[in-house]
Amino acid sequence: MNKFNVVGKREPMLDALDKATGRARFTDDLSLPGMLYGKILRSPLPHAKILYVDLSGAEKATGVKAAISGKDIPKKKYGIVPMAKDEYALAIDKVRYIGDEVAAVVATSLDAAEEAISKIHVDYEELPAVFDPLEAMKPGAPIIHDEVPNNVSATIRKEFGDVEKAFAQSDFIFEDTFETQAVNHCPLEPQAALAMVDHSGKVTLWSSTQIPFFLRRNLATTLDIPESMVRIIKPKVGGGFGQKIDLYAKDFCAAFFAMKTKRPVKFVYEREEVFTSTRQRHPMHIQLKTGMKKDGTILAQQFKVVADGGAYNSTAPLMITLACFFIMLPYRIENLLFEGFHVYTNKPVGGAMRGHGIPQVRFAVEAQLDTIAEKMGIDPLDLRLKNAFQAGEPHPAKLLVQSCGFSDTLIKAAEEIGWKEKRGKLPFGRGVGLAGASFPSGVSNMSHISSGAVVKIERDGAITLLTGAADIGQGAETVISQIVAEELGVSLKEIRITAADTEITPLDPGTFGSGVTLRAGNAARIAAQVAKEKLFEAVAEKMEVEARDLEAKDHRIFVKANPEKGMSLEEAIKVYQYSDRPMPIIGRGSYQPPAKEPTTLLKEDGNFSPAYSFMTQAAEVEVDTRTGKVKVLKMVTAHDCGRAINPMLVEGQLEGSVVGGMGQALYEEVITEKGQVLNPSFLDYGIPTAMEVPPITSVEVETNDPEGPFGAKESGEGTQLSPAPAIINAIYDAIGVSFNSLPVTPERVLEALQKKDKR
Amino acid sequence: MRLPRFEYIEPRTLKEAANALAADSKGSVLLAGGTDLLVSMKQRVIQPKRVINLKTIPRLAYISNGKEGLRIGALTTLHDLSLSRTIREQYPALTEAAKEVGAYAHQVMGTIGGNLCQGNRCRFYNQSAFWRGVRRLCFKAGGEICHVVRKPKECHSTYCGDLAPVLMALDSRIKILGPHGERALPLKRLFTRDGKRPLSLKKGEVLKEILIPEPSGKTLYLKWRLRGSLEFPVVSLALHIEKGTNGAIEGARIIFSGVGPGPVEALEAEKMMVNGLLDEEMIEKVSDQAVREISPMRTSIHSPAFKRKIAGILLRQALEQMMKS
Amino acid sequence: MKRILKLHVNGEDFEILTEIHKTLLEVLREDLGLTGTKRGCDLGTCGACTVLIDGKPHLSCLTLTADVQGKKITTIEGLAQDGQLHPLQKAFAEKGAIQCGFCTPGMILTAKALLDEDPHPSEEKVKKAISGNLCRCTGYVKIVDAILSVTDKSSES
Ligand SMILES: Cc1cc2nc3c(=O)[nH]c(=O)nc-3n(C[C@H](O)[C@H](O)[C@H](O)COP(=O)(O)OP(=O)(O)OC[C@H]3O[C@@H](n4cnc5c(N)ncnc54)[C@H](O)[C@@H]3O)c2cc1C
Repeated sequence: MNKFNVVGKREPMLDALDKATGRARFTDDLSLPGMLYGKILRSPLPHAKILYVDLSGAEKATGVKAAISGKDIPKKKYGIVPMAKDEYALAIDKVRYIGDEVAAVVATSLDAAEEAISKIHVDYEELPAVFDPLEAMKPGAPIIHDEVPNNVSATIRKEFGDVEKAFAQSDFIFEDTFETQAVNHCPLEPQAALAMVDHSGKVTLWSSTQIPFFLRRNLATTLDIPESMVRIIKPKVGGGFGQKIDLYAKDFCAAFFAMKTKRPVKFVYEREEVFTSTRQRHPMHIQLKTGMKKDGTILAQQFKVVADGGAYNSTAPLMITLACFFIMLPYRIENLLFEGFHVYTNKPVGGAMRGHGIPQVRFAVEAQLDTIAEKMGIDPLDLRLKNAFQAGEPHPAKLLVQSCGFSDTLIKAAEEIGWKEKRGKLPFGRGVGLAGASFPSGVSNMSHISSGAVVKIERDGAITLLTGAADIGQGAETVISQIVAEELGVSLKEIRITAADTEITPLDPGTFGSGVTLRAGNAARIAAQVAKEKLFEAVAEKMEVEARDLEAKDHRIFVKANPEKGMSLEEAIKVYQYSDRPMPIIGRGSYQPPAKEPTTLLKEDGNFSPAYSFMTQAAEVEVDTRTGKVKVLKMVTAHDCGRAINPMLVEGQLEGSVVGGMGQALYEEVITEKGQVLNPSFLDYGIPTAMEVPPITSVEVETNDPEGPFGAKESGEGTQLSPAPAIINAIYDAIGVSFNSLPVTPERVLEALQKKDKR
Repeated sequence: MRLPRFEYIEPRTLKEAANALAADSKGSVLLAGGTDLLVSMKQRVIQPKRVINLKTIPRLAYISNGKEGLRIGALTTLHDLSLSRTIREQYPALTEAAKEVGAYAHQVMGTIGGNLCQGNRCRFYNQSAFWRGVRRLCFKAGGEICHVVRKPKECHSTYCGDLAPVLMALDSRIKILGPHGERALPLKRLFTRDGKRPLSLKKGEVLKEILIPEPSGKTLYLKWRLRGSLEFPVVSLALHIEKGTNGAIEGARIIFSGVGPGPVEALEAEKMMVNGLLDEEMIEKVSDQAVREISPMRTSIHSPAFKRKIAGILLRQALEQMMKS
Repeated sequence: MKRILKLHVNGEDFEILTEIHKTLLEVLREDLGLTGTKRGCDLGTCGACTVLIDGKPHLSCLTLTADVQGKKITTIEGLAQDGQLHPLQKAFAEKGAIQCGFCTPGMILTAKALLDEDPHPSEEKVKKAISGNLCRCTGYVKIVDAILSVTDKSSES
């Protein structure tokens, strides 16, 4: 039974009708009088020195108002992780991948801007390029960034337990190599930015960002102006999945040109630019060695992971760290040695994407577990259950897992897919598989990850919520409003929310690491509580009861023990006002996940996240052994997300994430040839259409996390960790071939089947 | 991506269109549904001075049953084809093919004429101007070299249309109107198999009508692509078989899309079938022969070897289906 | 080359002077301020720019504006009638078929065209009809549900 009124309800998103009627405004939907349109000239070479940029042709073209190249901008590097800043807003001196930004123009029309770009002449001195990270690590490889002579820009080496000893004690040792592909996030809205500058020089930037406050900082850095001179407003954002975490040239250029021309400036990317010049999931090369005891205990694992970072760092150190730590959940891995390398290549840039560094290694682990199970004669489900981590257990890396429904997700997912009846029992060509995972609900071991919120109660009972949280379509604004409504005992429609405007709303780290509901939700809940307590104080005084005995529910404030005794919210506000207390009633909340200092993640371990979610995905597939095509017949997703504040939105998160994972397993790959993306379009890059989608069953596994607001944890991001291995394991069950690289295309299935026949 | 600038012409008659086209055939293009043409224009692989819109010409969209068979106006949309009862009853393979082009909106916009006359495709060609600028201009786009085979003055672009194989399997003819009048020819002669100039249309000629003879025999269309929608065929196949009263095959047509510079007819394989009986042995023989007659190139992200394999599988599947029915 | 074009959009007549090489998508968004129609790929592969022309789904990014003079153009802004939301709009909102909302206008209009053609499509047919409208957020599950729920309602009445 749901003891809550608003929390736990299947409420439609607050902005759903705006989106259904075309009223919702995304960045490119905005325009300002006198606005100029911008375009960026990109490098056609994977690696080259810029000798000279001749802008004169563009500058002379009709309609063109300004043109710039790298030498015109402040020489300030930016990056998402402060210690890994390695990028200029426009390339200075050197380009490092095909699509790197070289110059930009603004003109009175987009036509003019597009035409002007072709009139810029650039002299390059081509440099030898390197496209394979393993090659790039070798001595003598072309150096992509002078500061990083071996091209390895981030590393991690962690050992927990005693790996050597554990391998010596193992009854069986398994060694495999895995490879994963580059995947593009494909938000339907291409990146966009619109900037305006006022008389004082203050820049206002509307941007398709999922991380406004970080963008403010990075933009101020690149423009070389104080942060206080930058205001970021996030309009509706058409999906992000991690790709809208970074600052892009479009943000910088819009602002820089607005400063230069004193006119509003808009930059919008083409779909091709989204593919070539934003971010993608890092391809990884993974060597995995696992030591097992006869009884099925995982004794030790050893990893060597090489991530192909492309030309710049973006989140490199964080990504490789996440990969390391999330090997140690959801299974008990007492002895682990993890060596991770983020390597520069002359290719599109890797960045955060749904799961952030973890899906790749999770694929390796989960695929290997199934082959281990087979060789050891253990059921893959039993093997997982045996090693499943449990709440409260001491963790070798000191993660503090207070709630954990992993075993439950395994059992329920297995049941729902029909594991007992089907695994190993279906006819050749059909099979089932499953895979588990765990994900943080926000990261605590980093600086700057507090969320703030303000709740105002006005004279007429209107409730205004200010939050910095960045809703990019996942429904953050709705969920946080639900939390506030619950806390104040009002209905959802009474909450008016203003979000993600760095000038108006309190600080928030933004949408990444799946921390929004927990972090911003907690901040908003605290703010609501503070406002409520102020109101309670006045009401208690009037009613001559103790404030702590009061409760707010159903738009009333009353005595908990005697619900008859109370008054409506409006009356309560009147009481507050007439007791000469200052209006409006304001509650402020700040929340920082409990963390250990110092907070340099790469050097210190400790509890990584305030809470961890757990999940199992199961798949049933049919392999057409003639054409090699794999059809997913059914997907099951069992997810422990703590308490679902809004089950409908949670389901939506899970379903979308599962289909994304399917894409990664079967259809999607950003293919490059000598650094050039061969398939920068939806025709050639296989994002799943409605036709690919099988029935998806979500199984709820609710736990109540003590740290999350109303017990809520992450949902939707972790879900993308294990659909791919679940499908790969189902294919293994179907045809007896275990694939070590993704995606499993029909061509590869046929090759594998042929090889198998020959044996 | 903006369209390049052009002059826009709305002829009132087909004759006017043909004359306008003839006046500057290099600098002008015909516009039908635009789903192929406008993509190429945005990508600047075509930069015409003039666009001649055929859709303003009345009475070019029709499906009508006549004495010699079915007449379809060139401007008839794929969606209308797929909804036509006559076609569904008499030429179900054509319904099938029309329903598999792109997705819903492409079928609503795309015309049968545009589908037949659509440009050949290549991974080095159907890309933006920026993309192509990374390499030397290819032969098809006006340069010297072909990146597929790395030889000068060759073009190996691939024909990927869905309708041509079926219509050829049905032995269709087309009517063409030019500045000097009308001519009719078998559809298969529309295709030159020259990647650079894939159509045999002469100066100022416009495709006016498609004629499908009275239904006879049995026709199947099978299309293979990675996802269940949206994509062009990686390989597709139309198979047509006519059997005599004794069950022996009297005539066969095997036509592929996606594996050559035009629709590819496997003539030798067809010959093998005549007078034979459709059995396992024949299926084996014919499909082995057919894949020897196609020459897929690396013009898409799929390898030629794989395309060849799929072509064989499709034919085998189609023949088996025919055998069972 | 500029021309005066007469357009009939969402029941209103417009006369605009615009460049002939502008697509309908560009004219809707830039000249008429109807930004509900989205630009997702600009090359006819994502469906976000879908509008109805004489009731049928068209990719406005591949449509010349001059070409649709005299036709009935419906964008997402024109779907509600007399202040009444279209049942699809309601169903999409209530069933959680909308996440980021960028594909939503094109998706809803495509679904409307389908239901006008066939009020009781099978699930397979719904999937096929919207297969040219890409969505990265929802996995399509709730979108298909929402569309089917509208067909249920009309079968009751
Ligand atoms: C995402 C996407 C997916 C697609 N998938 C497929 C697919 O699966 N299968 C497929 O076959 N096609 C596909 N297409 C291509 C295209 O949509 C179809 O081929 C469509 O039928 C083309 O018709 P149209 O009327 O739009 O042609 P247009 O674009 O108007 O014209 C195409 C070409 O034919 C010429 N032309 C048109 N009509 C005539 C005529 N009467 N006489 C002489 N020349 C003429 C034009 O000048 C132009 O060169 C796809 C396109 C896109 C964007």
